[in-house]
Amino acid sequence: MAREFASKGVEFVFLYTREAHPGENYPSHRSFEQKLAHARAFKAEFKVERPILVDDLVGTAHKLYGSLPNMTYLISRGGRVLFRADWTDPPTIEYAINYVLNSRARRREGLRLAPFYAELVGYRWNDPGKFQERLARAGRQAVDDFARAMEKRIRQPLRPGRIELPE
Amino acid sequence: MDEETEIEIYNYSEFVGSEEFMTFRTHLPVGSPAPDFQATLLETGLPVNLSEYWKKNDVLIEFGSFT
Repeated sequence: MAREFASKGVEFVFLYTREAHPGENYPSHRSFEQKLAHARAFKAEFKVERPILVDDLVGTAHKLYGSLPNMTYLISRGGRVLFRADWTDPPTIEYAINYVLNSRARRREGLRLAPFYAELVGYRWNDPGKFQERLARAGRQAVDDFARAMEKRIRQPLRPGRIELPE
Repeated sequence: MDEETEIEIYNYSEFVGSEEFMTFRTHLPVGSPAPDFQATLLETGLPVNLSEYWKKNDVLIEFGSFT
């Protein structure tokens, strides 16, 4: 997707944050060298071609954008937030980018476009098996911590902004 | 707070859940100016500002880690 949109003026970058699910193989960072080493391992393991920016050890950049483990922002040329999501979901990202590119194209065709504010509840395909595989690669501790956190969350209401889609 | 404490709080060693999901909606809504920051570009080890990317292009930025 990054390659497809690069020719259309959208650059994809990745910001390496703290370990969301630290485990025996990838423990929480205690030095910047360690964080760089994890980022290198991440690049190799998942064949990431996008530029990887490594945040500092106290998460300065991560905190500015909301501190979530796997969020995405689309920022316009010039530096305004056009779209954001508290979870990274490729089809939703594609949808958002195409919306922006199409809006530009319509304006170029001479349509008068007035900006307005919009929000969206997202629905993503969730593959628990794959997620558990990722946790297992971090280590046994990551698997156990996640299971404990889920037990706790089941007793809590859905997070704000998340609703089941009525049939 | 000294730096070591700040590092240990941010880089928690046990995942207990992401409380930040509760505050995300009001944190940086669409239309906001994107905050600039400096980070280390892994490929070169050199500092880079996010704004260098959005000067020329739209930017899609994903946040994450190995785990």
